[in-house]
Amino acid sequence: MTAVAQEAAASTPDPGRRWGELGIAGVLVISLTVLAALYLISAPLIMLLTTAFRGPQDLLPFEPGAIWTFENLRAVYLDTKLYTSVIPNTLIFTAGSVSLTFVLAFTLAWLVERTDLPWRTTVFTIVLFPLLVPGVVLAIAWIFLLSPNTGWVNVALRGVLGLTGSGPLDIFSMGGMILAQGVGLVPFVFLLLSAALRSMNPSLEEASSASGASPLVTFLRVTLPVLRPGILAPLILATLVTLEQFEIPLVIGFPARINVFSTRIYFELNTDSDLPAYGKAAAVALPFLVGGILLLLLYNRAIRRAEHFVTVTGKGYRPSRFALGRWKLPAILFIVIYLAIAAVLPAVVLVWASLFGYGVPSWPTLGTASFAAYAGLFASGKFWGAVGNTFLVAGSSAAIVTVIGALLAWTILRTRLPGRFVLDFVSFMSLGIPSVIAGLAAMLLYLSLPIGLYGTVWVLVLAYSYRMAVASRLGRAALMQIHAELEEASYTAGGGWATTIRRIVLPLLAPSLVASFVLLFILGFREFTLPTILQSPDNTVLSVIMWQLFQSNQTAQAAAVGTMIVLFVVPVIFAMRRLLLAQDGKD
Amino acid sequence: MLKVESLVKVYASPDGTVPAVRGVSFTVPQGAFFTLLGPSGCGKTTTLRCVAGLEQPSGGTISIDGTVVADPARGIHVPAYRRDIGMVFQSYAIWPHMDVFGNVAYPLRVARKRPPRAEIRERVMEALRLVGMDAMAARSATKLSGGQQQRVAFARALVRHPKLLLLDEPLSNLDAKLREQMRFELQELVARVAITTLYVTHDQSEALAMSDNVAVMSDGIIVQSGPPRDVYTKPRDAFVAAFLGAANFLKAEVVQRTGAQSALVAIEGGSGRFSVTLPPGIAAGDHIEIVFRPEDAAIHFAPMGGDDLVQGLVERLSFQGGSTECYLRIGGTIVRAILHPAIETTNGAAAWLRIDPARCVVYAPGQGR
Repeated sequence: MTAVAQEAAASTPDPGRRWGELGIAGVLVISLTVLAALYLISAPLIMLLTTAFRGPQDLLPFEPGAIWTFENLRAVYLDTKLYTSVIPNTLIFTAGSVSLTFVLAFTLAWLVERTDLPWRTTVFTIVLFPLLVPGVVLAIAWIFLLSPNTGWVNVALRGVLGLTGSGPLDIFSMGGMILAQGVGLVPFVFLLLSAALRSMNPSLEEASSASGASPLVTFLRVTLPVLRPGILAPLILATLVTLEQFEIPLVIGFPARINVFSTRIYFELNTDSDLPAYGKAAAVALPFLVGGILLLLLYNRAIRRAEHFVTVTGKGYRPSRFALGRWKLPAILFIVIYLAIAAVLPAVVLVWASLFGYGVPSWPTLGTASFAAYAGLFASGKFWGAVGNTFLVAGSSAAIVTVIGALLAWTILRTRLPGRFVLDFVSFMSLGIPSVIAGLAAMLLYLSLPIGLYGTVWVLVLAYSYRMAVASRLGRAALMQIHAELEEASYTAGGGWATTIRRIVLPLLAPSLVASFVLLFILGFREFTLPTILQSPDNTVLSVIMWQLFQSNQTAQAAAVGTMIVLFVVPVIFAMRRLLLAQDGKD
Repeated sequence: MLKVESLVKVYASPDGTVPAVRGVSFTVPQGAFFTLLGPSGCGKTTTLRCVAGLEQPSGGTISIDGTVVADPARGIHVPAYRRDIGMVFQSYAIWPHMDVFGNVAYPLRVARKRPPRAEIRERVMEALRLVGMDAMAARSATKLSGGQQQRVAFARALVRHPKLLLLDEPLSNLDAKLREQMRFELQELVARVAITTLYVTHDQSEALAMSDNVAVMSDGIIVQSGPPRDVYTKPRDAFVAAFLGAANFLKAEVVQRTGAQSALVAIEGGSGRFSVTLPPGIAAGDHIEIVFRPEDAAIHFAPMGGDDLVQGLVERLSFQGGSTECYLRIGGTIVRAILHPAIETTNGAAAWLRIDPARCVVYAPGQGR
């Protein structure tokens, strides 16, 4: 891959086009792309920065009566609660969940990729399954399982241990939050780690073995150090994702009275008594925005180091798998328990609750199965509205970002537009913006702009579309594989800029465009934070509906929505698995 | 000394089992250079990996210096890290997280009896000097070129003075010019350290140039083995003949036996007769195949009489500078020959081919493919 790119760079020393060579269509399209990208990412952020310094706090920054002030910063940062609870809670939650995620994900990835574990492809698929399920669905399923009084696991444990009362486990605690978040993030990290394990040249380990090192020494002195960059990048990404996590802290942390920074921002906007405190919310957001972007810079460094580590690889001798031997049974047991906790039990409890209501399963209840919850849902216009909104928002934001991202990648790689590196930086940084902050920023922007977008479904489309990084990175990687001469051949054959883009570049980029659309669609489908912060009666999506139903104690209907989401996700997982397995030529 | 007897390796695959090695036996005397040569998929790399201990054989025995290291029938499998070997991988497998010194010092550092620091330093530098990399000891492994990585890989394989050196296509990742150069260096290096070496390659010129003994493998078995010159000049069948270099094949019919081992044969589609040496069991009237190398085909452009000559037409000429390749049509067959570049001729000219009976090999039908 790098070799191809280098070759491309070497044989066409200066593929960049000057502004004048693009033609009117080119100039127009590129300008619009650049403006759209800059607007979608930076306009909300500028609004956010401004708001932090405008007061009084319940006024929008440009409402009449607002003035410049440090009052918000003072109110937030001189409040000791920030230092005694919000920051420590955020750190404990993040460190705990990420550690749990890593131990589980690395063990699973190693077992699936490097050992002779039976049914590896099946395990691979089931582990990935919760990846597409919105976090709020999983969080509610976890409450069904582990709530102190009626949670299935607690009832079962009390029966076995002969306990009475409530407990022994309590999901509404820091431990519960860490468990739910840590297990919830495993599929994502598992995917990244197994890719790292798979791309490792197995002869690096064999060379150690042939040098006289025992398997343990080989693991400690060769396997782990060689994998370090490949482990570091997912580690940083997982930290970023956990830091901006909103669903678990809201659904589980709120009843437990444990606030982290994302919920703190949310509750500044949704206070019980007062008006929304825009200024204070923005002030809370600032350091976390900086933190997120710093983490992303670190991630970028780790990735570049990982690329340095790529060495000459021989033509594929299939990696010999580690024979588990007498460890086979414990390994299978570990996988079964993990899958039961992370995938099977949550799914079962959801389906059960949707049919029988939320209670402990027993023989008598079996007779009371009822599709009333589904009937109620299907009869409600609100539900169908949410289905429509979910697909509309996920689909159109994915389309917008895919197109803009690809054009952005082309502009950055193939033109000599001044400032294109800034563009690259800005689009990549969008990954580091926590979605709570993106939601808050979009809220401030569209409440202030007098164009009547706020409260409609289109504000969601615009808010979702800030995640430029995925599309522009994928587009860039694909474009590097396409020799610039292919485009130049089109110019010399008489094709103008627009013709060349349409007939040469886009068709060649098609696979990567599809991939980034699918990825963005999935992200949009799962999204809960943005639509919760920007919610109005007209723009609810499925995950928000589920949360609303759950909060108003319509448990069966909430579970039915969850079940519907899961049902939609199943075929997507199988399609994705085919895609992944086909790419890697896995057994 | 390495001794491999009746080695069998069977892989389990989703649709049954696949035999990769089907009974391979050979012996490499102390200090000798032995090459397994064959096309990809012939089982040569699998054999090497069994010797290294990276694969567990399904049957047969392997012993290094008299110690049995693999014998599945008796449940013996000494893992790779307990065998006294040095190995160079096709991808070199230079660890990217260590510098050059660290890579080469590794086998000494992980040894069960770890030498003192000063001795490690001395031996690493000695190994690096051997491959001409001593000036780059502190360089990061990721900043090495292909040729440098390969030298480091050699130093790493030799640093603990193993009993056996295993080389898995070490030259195949280099470009043509560098490969030539490294081949000479490798030859010199192995001769200097006088270590028992097992070499795996698909490149016949490497095998012929470097080995004391070559074993040509196909389909999981050794088809023929012996000193390179013998295997080249007396290939046992058409596969070996074709794999070891350019070869010409002419079909002929036995006309008359002239002795216990000799006969006169007539080339199909051509005029003239050859006297050849026959393998046993062939009678007059049988069809045979004559195989010979282009450099053994003498071409004359003046009409000549007598035996051991066959007439043909010049089909195509290809001037190479130092020589001219001449393609001769004899009946339905094209024969390739090498001409001195000074000889001038034209397409369509009549030519007479002469082969020294001692320089060609004859197969009974079915033996050649």
